[in-house]
Formats: sequence, C-alpha cells, structure tokens
Amino acid sequence: MIPKVIPKVGIFIYDAGGRLSRAIDLAEVVQRLAKAKNVTRREVFNNLEAPDPISSIQEDLRAGRLNRILWVGRFPDARRRRIEGELTAAGLNPYLQEWCDLEEQGIGRGDFDRAVQAQKAIILIQMALARTRLLAPLMPLEIPAVDAALIIGGGVTGLHTAASLADLGKKVFLIEKESGVGGKVAALRRLYPLICDPHCGLEFALQKLEKSGRVEIHTLTRVKTLAGSPGNFSVRVEKQPRYVDEQKCIACGECITACPKEIQAGNTFPLAGDFSNRGQQVWNPNGLEKAIHQARPLAYPSTYVIERQHCPPECRECQKACPTRAVELEQTASELEFKAGAVLIATGWDPYPLTRVEEYGYGVYPNVVTNLEMEHISEEPPDLQEVGFIQCAGSRDERYLNYCSSVCCSITLKQVLHLKEKRPGVRCYIFYQDIRTSGFDEELYQRVKSLDQVIFIRGDPATVKPEENGRLRVRAEDTFSGKELDLHLDLLVLAGGMVPSEGSRELAHLLKLPQNSYGFFEAHLPCHPEESQRTGIRAGGACRGPMNVVHSIESGHRAAFDVLPFLSGTVRLEPTYPVLNLTKCDKCKRCMEECPYASFYFDGNGFPVPDLAKCRQCGNCVGSCPLFAVSLGHFTVQQVASQIQAIKSGFLGKEEPVVLAFLCKNDAYPAAKGAAESGLPIPPNVFFIKVPCAGSINNAFIADALGFGIDGVLIAGCQDDQCHYVKGNQLVKTRKENLAEKLQKMVIEPQRVRFESLEIRDSRRYVDLVTSYIAELKKMGPNPFKT
Amino acid sequence: MPPKVDREKCDGCKVEKEPLCEQVCPGDLMTLGEDKKAYCRMARDCWDCMSCVKICPKGAMETRIPYQIGYHGAKLIPLMGTNTITWTLIDINGKVERFHYINRGSLD
Repeated sequence: MIPKVIPKVGIFIYDAGGRLSRAIDLAEVVQRLAKAKNVTRREVFNNLEAPDPISSIQEDLRAGRLNRILWVGRFPDARRRRIEGELTAAGLNPYLQEWCDLEEQGIGRGDFDRAVQAQKAIILIQMALARTRLLAPLMPLEIPAVDAALIIGGGVTGLHTAASLADLGKKVFLIEKESGVGGKVAALRRLYPLICDPHCGLEFALQKLEKSGRVEIHTLTRVKTLAGSPGNFSVRVEKQPRYVDEQKCIACGECITACPKEIQAGNTFPLAGDFSNRGQQVWNPNGLEKAIHQARPLAYPSTYVIERQHCPPECRECQKACPTRAVELEQTASELEFKAGAVLIATGWDPYPLTRVEEYGYGVYPNVVTNLEMEHISEEPPDLQEVGFIQCAGSRDERYLNYCSSVCCSITLKQVLHLKEKRPGVRCYIFYQDIRTSGFDEELYQRVKSLDQVIFIRGDPATVKPEENGRLRVRAEDTFSGKELDLHLDLLVLAGGMVPSEGSRELAHLLKLPQNSYGFFEAHLPCHPEESQRTGIRAGGACRGPMNVVHSIESGHRAAFDVLPFLSGTVRLEPTYPVLNLTKCDKCKRCMEECPYASFYFDGNGFPVPDLAKCRQCGNCVGSCPLFAVSLGHFTVQQVASQIQAIKSGFLGKEEPVVLAFLCKNDAYPAAKGAAESGLPIPPNVFFIKVPCAGSINNAFIADALGFGIDGVLIAGCQDDQCHYVKGNQLVKTRKENLAEKLQKMVIEPQRVRFESLEIRDSRRYVDLVTSYIAELKKMGPNPFKT
Repeated sequence: MPPKVDREKCDGCKVEKEPLCEQVCPGDLMTLGEDKKAYCRMARDCWDCMSCVKICPKGAMETRIPYQIGYHGAKLIPLMGTNTITWTLIDINGKVERFHYINRGSLD
C-alpha cells in the first residue's frame, strides 16, 4: 500500500502574452481559487522563456512545498515536453502534471460575455484541479522477454522475413508443415515482371539464413498449442517423423534406386478431387517417383523423406542401401516447445477448387487446366496451336468467390509472354471481364497486346465441349463487337482465385485470431494493415488477402516490424494499463467479454486479471464494469467522477442547459480542438472530458452527470466500424441504449444521452452539433435533478 | 414483494455460476432458473432492500413496491453513479419525486 501523500498543487496560468486576460479576468479567477483545497501556489505568468516560474517550481518541488502541478493555458507542444523534462529532473513524476487548455474548451472563442467565460474557466480549472488532486505517480513497466520469433509457414514470406529478422540479430524458429520449405512460390516456374525463376530469390533468402546461423527450420511441423503472453509465448509443436536422420543423410540418391515402391509424384498444388495430379499426368508422363524422395516443394533441408504410408510391409530396402545409415524407419512423432517473444503467421493461400466451377469442365476434360498447372506446361510446352485463357474463373462471381484475387491477370499475361517465347506460333485467346493490371503491371499488358496472334475477347465463354479429335470447342460472344465466336482449342487455362490456406483456418481456430468474411486474417485497414486483435501475433503475406510475391514479402516484413518491440529482450509498457480493484470485483467477467484483445485471464481465485503485455490500453474494460472496479492508470474512475462532480450545472442559471461531452481522443477530441483552433464559436454551455476510447465511458459516469444536474451528455466516438479499438463505439452505443430505456422509466427524456460519430476533421460539425443539442435541451427544459 | 426480472434483458450474467443479483442478495434469494434467467426463489422472504435492482448491469430488475408503501403501479427506480445514487419515485397518480445522494466515503 502506497502511503497517502497530501497533495500540494501549484496552479500556473499561462496568459500567452495577454491572450487569456483579453477573454477573462485572470485576477478574479486567481482570487476565486484562493480558497481551493490543497493548493499551495497559484500564479499567472506571461513569459515562457523567463527562468521563472520553472526554476522556482523546481525549488519548491525539491523542498517538498509542491508535489503536483496544474498548468492552465495553451502551451506549445515542444515547450510542454521541455517543461515535463525540466520538472522530471527536479524529481516530479511526469504523471503528476495536469494540463488544462482553456482555449480548446472554447474560452476566448466567439463573442460571449466575459463574466460567463470567466465562470466557465473557473469550473474548467476546478475540474482539472479535482483531477490533479487524485493524480498518482506512475512508472512504466518492464517485462523481461525472449528475443526470439516464431514464424509459422516457410513460404516466400516466411523465409524472407526470417532472413531479415536474423539480420537484425534475432533468433528465429521457422516451422513448416511440408517436408521442405518454399511453399507455393517454389512450385511456380516464373515470376513476373522479370519472367525469372522464383527459386533464385528463395535460394538467396536461404543462403542468408544459413549464414546467419540464427534460424532454426523445422519441417513436417505443426503448431499444437500456444500459451503465455507477448514477449513470452511458449509454443508447443508436433513434428511428424521423417524416417531419415537429418544429421546423416547426404542426399546421395542410393535409397531412391533401391526403393521398390513407385508413387504418384507429389502434387505441389493441393487441388480438389482425384484430378489433383492430372496436370502432370497429361503433360509430364514421368510423373512418378519413389516412396523415399527429396523434400518438397524445395529440396531444403536436403534430407530425404519417406512416405511411410506407401511402404510395402516389412520392406527395408532403403535402410539396406543407405551408405551413411541415415534411414530410421522406427522414428515416431515428437513434440517440441519453443519460447518466443512474438509469433508471425505466414500461412499463405490455397488455389480455389475450380472443380466447383462446373461450366468450364475442369476435372472432366483433360485439356482444361488451372493457371498453376499452366506454370509447368508453359515451361516445356507440347505441340500447341490454339490456347484459351479464361480470366476470373470463379472469381468476382457471387456464386463462387466474390472478390478479385488481384494477381491472376498479371499471371496470365506472364504465361502468354512465356509461352509465346517458347512457341511463337501459338495463337492465344484471352477471355476477360476486365484486365486488372494495377501499377507497373500495365507494362506487362502493353507488351502482350503488342504481340502477334494474341486476341483479347471481352466476355465469358458460354459453352466448353470436347471434340472427337481431343480438342475443345468453345463458344463465346465478344461483347464489344457482338460477334459469336466458335473456337477450337488445344488447351484451356482457367485463372482461378486465391483462398486462405487450410493452415490459416486451422491457426485462426487455434490462436483465436479473427478472420474476415472471406476467411483471411482480419486487419485494421488502412492504418494498420498487419494489425491483429491478438497482441504479439501478426500475420503477413497472402494469409491476409490475395497478393503477389512482392506484396507478400513486404507484408511479412511489416508484420515483423510491428512485433519488434516484443523481440528486444524487454517489453516496455506505458503505465496507463488497467488496474482492477479486487475488493470490489465480483467476477462477473464482463471486462473479459468486452475486451477486444482477449487480454483477460482468471487468476488463481477466479478474478479476471488483464495480461498487461496483451493490453492495448483502450479502456473498454473501464466502461464495461458494472461495479466500476476497473481503472486505467491516469484515467481512473475516481478522477473522472471528481471531474464530473466539479461541474456546476447551474452556473448559467437554471434555464440555460449545460452539456458534458465525452470525446474519444482519436477522432472526436481532435475535431473539438480543431474547432477552437479555427476560431469557431464554441458555446460556454459545453464541457468536455477526453477519454481513451468511447468504449471506456462507463454508464455510471453518465448517471453521475445526470445526477449532478447536467442537462445533456454527449458521447462522441468514431464512425461505425472505424474504431481503432475494434468495437468501442458499438459497445458504448449498446450501453447508452440500455441507459436510455431506464431514463424513460424514470420519466427523464432519453435524449439527454446522445451518441454521435465524429470524424477527425468534423470541427464545424462538432460546433453545429453542440449548438443544436443545446437548443434541443433548452426546449426540453432543465434536468429535474438540477438545483 | 420480490423484484420483477425483465426476462428479455436479463442475460443471467452470461450464465455465470452466480449472477450479480445472487451474489449481492442478503437473503440469498436470487438464483438462475433453468432458462438461465434470474428469478427470486423465495418471494415471501424478500425485504425489498433493492440491492439486486441497483447492481443489475442490464437494468433488468424492477422493484414492486409493497402495498403498505404505495399502491400497485407505483415505482421506485434507483440510478447508480460512481459515487452517487439518484432515486425516482413515481406514485400511482404519476407524481414524480426525485432524490440525489452522494455516497459517504471515498470511491476506493
């Protein structure tokens, strides 16, 4: 228990060269504050640059004559920071200073009566003073943390991000469910715009990883559980047996020769149905391999892997053949545990199962292929004369995928370029709805358009039918010319879309990460694209939404950058975290329900406790508590209640309404501040209190305000779905509705509590809103509790 | 007369083992029914202390004033602030009286 310190407040009013005294009589204000409790000094000063009052305050602080400072007036931000520094040097905790800007509350704006303005100023100072008395010294928290990161998914995003984190000196655990790294990109043959081999970039990242020596790659591994908090996660993973010792296998290939069992070549694109390997079957007759084979999709680690489910019983051929005795057929699955400061998810995407788009006959006719199968075909094309490409196959269609996967147009253009390079005589038809080549991909489009024998047809094919000679008969209408087309094609390529991978769905469930309606990980667009509702866990790359390789790598890096604070050995937390009064709490767990970041857990006695590392300090728990047992540091229930109590609701006479506005500090407060800065007339009837989020407004605050005779309470938050803390505005709206119903029963007009959305530059709207609300309240008559 | 529970508003405190009204009731009369809504199990024993009405975060409780104090239809509604309480008393003729109190003692 901290011993109670008797507050000794010094009030310093900065006149800013006479600006304040022009609007109000400062001598009167100081005189009115003469009897205020706990105030030891009250002064007006006019020169910020003079050594006084700072040096005399420092002296008083050192001598113990002052322990809290209330600054009144408008200070330049830079000067404010300097004053804070100067007083901290004299031993004052920065949280023991309060800043009360009279001008942003409307003092000196508009031509209102000087006496009224002075009265409002006194109330504002008394509000701030009530709060200052209750200020507590606060210190930032430092939690020891692990300086390692866990990356889930060893695709292009995971590898490049791991390499960059290793460059920064961080330890990285990278886990991958396949037997080798590389992901989908390793299975591609060309990347646009350079039409280059993707293995080159992957190899580059891998070499960087190897050299750093700080990256541990675990293949055939999946996450089982995640426990702990940001900075100190502990992740249990399950590693499937490889049946080959990674320390011994030299990838000589003798076991492959010895292995008697041939299996279908592994398919790097998990497609739906039995046709998954068909692309290779048709176009690559050697689509067979042995049960023991290289790691896939990229042969890294270079160790072989055995698919035991295909092994003939009791077969030991590979074991006999292995010169280094690396084959261990008795291996079993093992569990590992990693300690990581942060978790990065890069679980990527899956191709949309095109068998669902029945009209194009994928999976029925052998020469209808997906754009992924086309990657291999265009690398070594057979003898082809006419090839069709259908864009948006199943995409931008409400029956299948009603979004654009953003990459398929460029992929098709790349494949056409590549195919024409290998077989210049091929005629290509591209059926499209719109060609979407954003940014510099337009250049790709121009290049393809300038080629001979490439025909763009706007419109989807109506029918696809096989012919006796094995070709396909495609009927379509060119919607530009209105002409019916009847084409005979050797090959039809469907540009399918991207859906979140199976692994993403699994992880979302496991880590309780919110997904959007398409199943991709949710983000706060546009400000925080890699934001997730679980602190210390970020997702990057194509598990966030359809994107190309460049954007995936960027996204992975951005996600890694966001979690760097959790990888630095200590997690530093601002002291404005929630504190629960456990003598009041009766475990109703409403704070737990309403916390958008799931940061509450039960302690040994069943009390909810916030995990401070997960907490983003939005204060929604403060608003949710029916017993007001939750307070944020520097925004305690007592502080707010005392501020409300300091408002004298009758200062303008009983008939003139007084409004208390709770303004969200992200949007509504800057709007109100902007109104004052642009000189708009802010009526003297309104007082505002800045809150961390609209969701942090407890109904008890509103009840207090109404009980003290305040005529109207205005809650101003963000627009719907724009809340920086996910759903603060929705929560406060529900609570407000609940209260309004009760007010109705109490024969008090429910309109006395009002919620409004304000955008950050809605300054004029703020003034209009307040003015019209005051007029409305005036018509309603005074609050019955007003004395 | 026991408190009346608005069954639409009551969420059984998210089906906790002990909802808030049960915890606060000095006679241990409130409990959750099979439908996971609160109810008063011993109507005769209720003292009308209104603890449950005050604490309900959903505003689902309403006091039924005993006939000795007010006839059927009279209402007494508390509204809890952080450190204050306001009372609204409505008699059967619709006459409204209001009281506002600041609690003694500090908030913590």
